Amino acid sequence: MMSPMSVWEPVLVLLGVVSGGVAALHGLGAWLRTGRALPDAGAFSGGLPPREHAFSRFHVRWYPVTMIFLAFDMEMLFMYPWVRVVRTMGVPAVVEMFLFLAVLLTAVVYAWREGALRWA
Amino acid sequence: MGLRTALRRIAATRVAVLLVTAPGATAVRLAVEAGVRRRGPAWGWAESPAAANALLVAAGPGHQAGGTLPDSLPGRLWDLLPHPKARATAAGEDEAGPALDSLAEALAAGPGWRSGSAPGGPGRQARKGAGGQDTELVAGLPMAERGDDRDGLRLDVLHLPLGPALPDWPAGLVVDVALQGDVVQEARVRPLSGPGALPPSGDALPYWDEPWLRAAHGESVSEGAAHRRRCAAHLDSLGRMLGVAGWPGPADRARRLRDAALRGAPAGVLLPGVQALRRRVERSRTLRGLVRGLGPLPAARARELGVDGPALAAAGDAYDRLLRWPTEAERSAAGVDSTALLADRRPVGPRGRLDGPRPPSRALLDALPPLLAGAELAAARLIVASLDPDPDELLGEEAPHG
Amino acid sequence: MAETAPLWAVVVLPLALVVLAGVAAGADAVLSAAHGGAGAWRRAADPWREAVRLLVQQPRRTRAADRWLGRIGIGLVPVAAVLAAAVVPWGLRPVTDPAVGVVWFNAMEALAWAAVWLAGWGPNSAFSLVGGYRFLAQGLAYELPHMLALTTAALGAESLRVGAVVAAQRGLWFVVWMPVAFAVHLLSAAALAFWGPFAHPLGRDVAGGAAAEWSGPDRLVLLAGRWLLLAAGAAFAVPLFLGGGHGPLLPAWLWTVVKTAAVLAALLGLRHLVPTVRMDRYMEVAWLVLVPLTLLQALVVAVVVLGRR
Repeated sequence: MMSPMSVWEPVLVLLGVVSGGVAALHGLGAWLRTGRALPDAGAFSGGLPPREHAFSRFHVRWYPVTMIFLAFDMEMLFMYPWVRVVRTMGVPAVVEMFLFLAVLLTAVVYAWREGALRWA
Repeated sequence: MGLRTALRRIAATRVAVLLVTAPGATAVRLAVEAGVRRRGPAWGWAESPAAANALLVAAGPGHQAGGTLPDSLPGRLWDLLPHPKARATAAGEDEAGPALDSLAEALAAGPGWRSGSAPGGPGRQARKGAGGQDTELVAGLPMAERGDDRDGLRLDVLHLPLGPALPDWPAGLVVDVALQGDVVQEARVRPLSGPGALPPSGDALPYWDEPWLRAAHGESVSEGAAHRRRCAAHLDSLGRMLGVAGWPGPADRARRLRDAALRGAPAGVLLPGVQALRRRVERSRTLRGLVRGLGPLPAARARELGVDGPALAAAGDAYDRLLRWPTEAERSAAGVDSTALLADRRPVGPRGRLDGPRPPSRALLDALPPLLAGAELAAARLIVASLDPDPDELLGEEAPHG
Repeated sequence: MAETAPLWAVVVLPLALVVLAGVAAGADAVLSAAHGGAGAWRRAADPWREAVRLLVQQPRRTRAADRWLGRIGIGLVPVAAVLAAAVVPWGLRPVTDPAVGVVWFNAMEALAWAAVWLAGWGPNSAFSLVGGYRFLAQGLAYELPHMLALTTAALGAESLRVGAVVAAQRGLWFVVWMPVAFAVHLLSAAALAFWGPFAHPLGRDVAGGAAAEWSGPDRLVLLAGRWLLLAAGAAFAVPLFLGGGHGPLLPAWLWTVVKTAAVLAALLGLRHLVPTVRMDRYMEVAWLVLVPLTLLQALVVAVVVLGRR
């Protein structure tokens, strides 16, 4: 059996390798290009300048979907460990999990009937 | 030769073109598009200045650089392109090839990464905050302010001029939209005639309407030539619509067929291609699911606005209008070999009757703002593409006012 | 339990993923040019040349941008792809084989949410902002069916360890009795890479969306990163559903490559068949068709697992 350290060690090294690779690409670019740095450019929407900064409180119409998603996503956290105990726990594990899922799915259907999944 | 030079040379062989088309320059645009395709895999299109290394302005014949585009537009776009870069103007079909060659030469010669553009161009001036006197400016621009939205909320509004140099967008058209999130609250179409607008000279007829207008002026035009132009016009519209819908393969196919039609391909070659494309478009249930229901324009409302042509015949939403194009293109493709003279009846171009009080594209533009209000940005782009007004037609109309 | 690869594999894995992504992008270029007549195959080198062009190009700044925030987002794209691929066995040996490998892949893949949104927010441009938010909506649509598909494969093996999932398929590939989960995983691979039918966050209608304002090496990392994500997603389908490195005659590593290439080919085909999907229309499909279907699939698998006793 491997120690936990040797499981995550390669991942850390990998993170270093990839970050180094991205930095190297930027370095390579700096070595390859010449010429003056560009003045800061205006945002592009077809060629004419925007009237205000784009940083703003962006209103998302799919806000209700995020709520349903969160509910379901939390449920998924239970489902991962559940996967490992299905056989030892037997029928009750499956029944309970899918009853729970059915409740959630009912909520989804209700949200759909309320028009939460369509916003345009 | 060092590694650095070798890599720079490879980079310089690739050209990503940002194409800006002036109203009235449809023929130039078509020549440029065909030219880019002919030049092979190293050439491609850029969707935004950041992606481009070449700026090409397609100006109308006889117009000075930029044509009817706002004067400052080519210069402003040029400033948005990162180095290395090259720019050229094509003011006529025959200038398209040389202009493209000059782009490739300029990139290969590499002045773009040594000297760059002339310093002190128009884009370098810091713009004064034009957005209002009492708002606080950050880096020359105000922050977004709040306004009422369609659902009765008060939310940040972004005012965005869409166009005139967007990919798959009517040449020179500018639509000012107020966005909240990505929903269009309000849309206003700007008049085309900018400060650089020129009255069209007598021989510059709108490209897509040319055969019928010539025939109406008493010239002899063959029916085949008229069918050819109509077929190509519809395929051009279809290609743009599919491009906006994000289906690059069939969009490219539509453009190739368009170019084949204009190059004089016989019906025996053209018709099977158009038929295959029509079937492919009609069969896509995904496309139907995505476009269905956008921008409804029932027949009564269309007639009231004076809309004619495929948009009236479709009498429905953007998907109905989309399907009209391959259907009508197919009908026209069957007739491209006809040598009979175009009968001197009422001239009807690809977008409708040409002898009415106003050009058909004016009615299409009038239909836009109410359809755009409340649409998501993506849907708004699809609605514009599904009506596909042709700004060329408006040049003759707006000149007397300007 | 499968053995893990030696430490030098840590250097080979990113390179292998880059090569795989480059070949896939080349194949896509060839496929796009297939109507262009002879010489279409020469386009296979296009992605590499385009990469050189972007390397030489100046990085560009937009006015009052949050440049480094955007750059962090862009850097996250390849990081997410490679770290997700760390648990994919090449042959029968992954770089690392944690007991929660399936969850690890899921967690890394979810980094793309932050990545694309940050890349879209950073430039202070309305189009890229819209593009960034489009990806969040996309995440809400694809993520849940994807998690259910991953869970289903893990349920079939009764383990979250990728090595164990491969071992459980020695007799029968999971794709045979979990076709729905496999199909959903393929869709999700395209969606998490914001690519092909799910490229709306970088849509043409908003001039490139989240990528609209990025040039030079930044653009290269973002656009190459999405191919890496796609390659990682496709590669993960192999141990989950296609029996990993198991197969007759050929060595295990070659089977992995062949199967990954087949999955990528299927995804390329999908891109050419289907137009770009908008989330305001897809959301209903995802929640009312894909979620119930994957749940049903999970139920079937759970019943089979119970039957094993």
